[in-house]
Amino acid sequence: MRSNVLPRRSPAAAWLAENGAVAALVVLVVALSLLSSDFLSLTNLLNVGVQAAVTAILAFGSTFVIVTGGIDLSVGSVAALSAITLAWTATEAGVAWPVAVVVALAVGVAAGLVNASLIAYGKLPPFIATLAMLGIARGLALVISQGSPIPMPDAVSRLGDTIGRYLPVPVIVMVVMGVIAAVILNRTYAGRAMYAIGGNEEAARLSGIKVDRQKLITYGLSGGFAAVAGIVLASRLASAQPQAAAGYELDAIAAVVIGGASLSGGKGRALGTFVGALILAVLRNGLNLLSVSAFWQQVVIGVVIALAVLVDTLRRRGTN
Amino acid sequence: MRIPAIVIAGAALTLGLAGCGTAGDSGSSGGGQAGVKIGMSVSTLNNPFFVQLRDGAQEQAKKLGASLTVTDAQNDASQQVNQVQNFTSQAMKAIIINPVDSDAAAPAVKAAERSNIPVIAADRGVNGAEVAQTVASDNVAGGKLAAEELAKQMGEKGQVIVLQGTPGTSASRDRGQGFEQGVKAFPNIQVVARQPADFDRTKGLDVMTNLLQSHPDVTGVFAENDEMALGAIKALGDRAGRQVKVVGFDGTPDGLAAVSDGTMAASVAQQPRLLGQQAVAAAVKAAAGETLEKTLAVPVKVATKENVSEFQTS
Amino acid sequence: MRVSEAILQAEGLRKGFPGVQALDGVDLSLRSGEVHVLLGENGAGKSTLIKMLSGAYHPDEGRVLMDGRQVDIRTAGDAQRLGISTIYQEFNLVPELSVAENLSLGRPPRRFGFIDKSAMVRQAGELLARVGVDVDPRMPIARLGIARMQMVEIAKALALNARVLIMDEPTAVLTTSEVDMLFEIVRQLRDQGVAIAFITHHLEEIAAIGDRVTVLRDGRSVAEVPADTSQDELVRLMVGRPIDQQFPRRPAELGEPLLKVSDLSRRGAFDDISFEVRAGEVVGVAGLVGAGRTEVARAIFGADRYDAGEVAVRGRRLPPADVHAAMEAGLGLVPEDRKGQGLVLSADIGENLGLVTMRDATRAGFVDRKGQRRAAAKVADQLAIRMTGLDQEVRTLSGGNQQKVVIGKWLVADAGVLILDEPTRGVDVGAKVEIYQLINALTDSGHAVLMISSDLPEILGMSDRILVMARGRLVGELPAAEATQDGVMALAVTDVEGSRAQ
Repeated sequence: MRSNVLPRRSPAAAWLAENGAVAALVVLVVALSLLSSDFLSLTNLLNVGVQAAVTAILAFGSTFVIVTGGIDLSVGSVAALSAITLAWTATEAGVAWPVAVVVALAVGVAAGLVNASLIAYGKLPPFIATLAMLGIARGLALVISQGSPIPMPDAVSRLGDTIGRYLPVPVIVMVVMGVIAAVILNRTYAGRAMYAIGGNEEAARLSGIKVDRQKLITYGLSGGFAAVAGIVLASRLASAQPQAAAGYELDAIAAVVIGGASLSGGKGRALGTFVGALILAVLRNGLNLLSVSAFWQQVVIGVVIALAVLVDTLRRRGTN
Repeated sequence: MRIPAIVIAGAALTLGLAGCGTAGDSGSSGGGQAGVKIGMSVSTLNNPFFVQLRDGAQEQAKKLGASLTVTDAQNDASQQVNQVQNFTSQAMKAIIINPVDSDAAAPAVKAAERSNIPVIAADRGVNGAEVAQTVASDNVAGGKLAAEELAKQMGEKGQVIVLQGTPGTSASRDRGQGFEQGVKAFPNIQVVARQPADFDRTKGLDVMTNLLQSHPDVTGVFAENDEMALGAIKALGDRAGRQVKVVGFDGTPDGLAAVSDGTMAASVAQQPRLLGQQAVAAAVKAAAGETLEKTLAVPVKVATKENVSEFQTS
Repeated sequence: MRVSEAILQAEGLRKGFPGVQALDGVDLSLRSGEVHVLLGENGAGKSTLIKMLSGAYHPDEGRVLMDGRQVDIRTAGDAQRLGISTIYQEFNLVPELSVAENLSLGRPPRRFGFIDKSAMVRQAGELLARVGVDVDPRMPIARLGIARMQMVEIAKALALNARVLIMDEPTAVLTTSEVDMLFEIVRQLRDQGVAIAFITHHLEEIAAIGDRVTVLRDGRSVAEVPADTSQDELVRLMVGRPIDQQFPRRPAELGEPLLKVSDLSRRGAFDDISFEVRAGEVVGVAGLVGAGRTEVARAIFGADRYDAGEVAVRGRRLPPADVHAAMEAGLGLVPEDRKGQGLVLSADIGENLGLVTMRDATRAGFVDRKGQRRAAAKVADQLAIRMTGLDQEVRTLSGGNQQKVVIGKWLVADAGVLILDEPTRGVDVGAKVEIYQLINALTDSGHAVLMISSDLPEILGMSDRILVMARGRLVGELPAAEATQDGVMALAVTDVEGSRAQ
């Protein structure tokens, strides 16, 4: 008997309601195409992609955490620490570069696991645990590098180049990480458990989900993604810098939230986060192209973040 | 009796940090045990420029037999005030402050003044309080020199992009102002864009990439520090040093290496080591009661491919 | 009863939300000096109606008249000015502030620009006296019990000179004696000329307190009848069809013991609890609120630890405080706090139904979501959950349907022993009977059910055997056939007196 099924609203309306960020991005792109003739060229759009890459990869990692209702403030610092670790082990310690890459990724994951242990077993609020890690990771990056940039091994630096003439590797890495994030969130046990924990931690626990273990996975993934972002960032410059990616955690969080996730947990999607990161990158690119004054740029970025989330919230309210 | 875990943790941490202090480079730099005690608060060690400033200061302290304690304010003005206050209670004979913020440093300097400890300002001045001497490079003059060097290398004509530092900082203001003054003398050079990249290499790369879309014909770039200049060079790729001349500022090791490679046309080299040395020298004199000139301008020099080796050795 | 003019009249109210027509033509007339019961199943539109009268929603169609004049209620402030006060199930009190401060929240008496504390306390005292409750106005709200908080809410409505008082299920959280006290106050207010709209799910309360009843069904007002209408008739109006039996327990054949609890104790919560539940059996657990029933249920399920004793399922001992192991052994828990512990409100129905089986449906880290959906669809169908589809957010379901989802996830998992903690609290009559039928179906197929309930008729009507708890101890066991409400209550209360000393 299916008589208990009520009529549903149209799929297109439902899709738009779920994807307010896409609408915001479209508006932004149209506006910039009209305002600047240079905006809508292939090269420029690829540039936007490259510039979105690091934020997007960090934000994919943050999406996991935010879906569980947590927050990870340490991703920028962990990115820098991982990049410095890679450069240091490959140059100063003379280890083969593939090993150095593995070590760097391991450092990122380890930082995430420490965060999760403090949160799950130490019962620290995520804000505090990851704030501590923000300082610790940045400090360790400075200690290892003695405060100076370290050149990246050439083999790894190709990650910052293009394949052929046009195809930028950071964009490819971003897309790959995005697909991985989407698959984890949608298809795996770990991903579905993140939504359950973020939606209602107690209900998840009483349904047999091992919440503590899932948090280890969640923050470990966030740390791993941060490491990848750090490596891409350093590759673009061919140099690992201890002060790199400072403050990027806030961009990452903004991207996730613009993408429709809720900071109270249980909501968020990889595609939304991707769009959120693109909105930030398009905005910065457009402001440069339009030669907007330095002081006003910060105002405009703040206003657009607020507007994007506001539009999304209003849409949702309208449909509930 | 149970000793609270927090006490143990605190004790362990303190001991550990003390270990770091002596092993690392932020502790006192030996020399004469009975030497003059000098405290130095650096705005941040998260930047190679200030690391060199500190290195210069430590060299000079060693040479003069002074005992120098260096602290890192981590770009936090209120932390810096605390550090300077701590120096006054540690009975330092002189204090060197490298202000995080020229205005916010005044209360700290006044506190030292009350304890009759002379203060030397390094790299940046202090507004609203008297210091014994300000040891600084002249950023306005440096900006002007940059304009002249860039014009010369561009053949005194063409389009220029300016990459600005963090909006609102004095370094960005002064260097930008000096550059504007200098570039006025060349009517055929046109500044087509001024955009902020916050003294950051990645942002320099991104902003330059974006600007090349709207201004593909530029032949000159002035970046208000070397980090942004290096980012811009990355964005320019093969064109850097050939079609497009990039002038940076600060003369950091990475910057000077780029000058030597020919990708960077020039860097207006401040001499952070010299700055640090002069500051310590001034502090020792002030501690001995000597009266000093109000300002000591540490020369800025343009480092180009021809003379870059002089800078790299220092 | 004296007959008077209607103070408030609503005519043809309609309100739609995307996908749902919540109200589809509702008429209501409230007279001064009457208690008017609003009756309807969850989802019939009661909440939407009272939200409209209190300014939270605005009707798409229809009009509201006060004293015969049309009014437009767009905000809570509008409702307040018109003299309409609403007491929701979730109280609008600030727990950290004192009773007096809560009563004058937003408009404290002032003197020379400062808050006049003594005047505030005095005014609060007068208001509290009007509702006949003995509370120190300086006491913080957090230290009051639920019943007294409700009295403070009523006093707050009086402070606003309410002429129309809307009460949303005020008795749901009260004990019998507290209900009597509430009714006394409601009658007093009625006699002072206040018009009271009273929402309840307890049919027996209608005759006790009501004057007239408006019945809502599927967003329409289907009848206005006197309060002495028979319960069967009220149920028929509410559900749209007659319900033969309120408690259709159909005993099943008993099998081997599935759940065995021995000497289970936790300091300060419960002590020395031993019992067993057999296949095909429904064991009811009665007792007062705070007797430790929920604590025992959670300990058995591994949600909380215990100090001593053991729990065995099918003869195998469970490790303590291990939800996962309990589930593997075939235990399931439908917790008392549905929204707080039972459901992921932000997730959809399919996701919630599949929560328990997700681990088993995982191969190499990947969840078989198609298989999960299929299983969920089957159970949703079996439970007749009213929904737009499996992808509807659980948040938007009515209470009864939400409860079906919580029970449903254990059906998907085919739990052998189901612990139901207050399974029908806040669930309407129609859904209640469906849940009872489901219990029958479970025991027929050899499952065991342990049912905690504070609803005595339900315990008596649906259990095969009744355990009574008081002060953390099992104080009695009665076969359902021999048990009476008085008998159970006597057990639940007497021992409390006896063991209070410790």
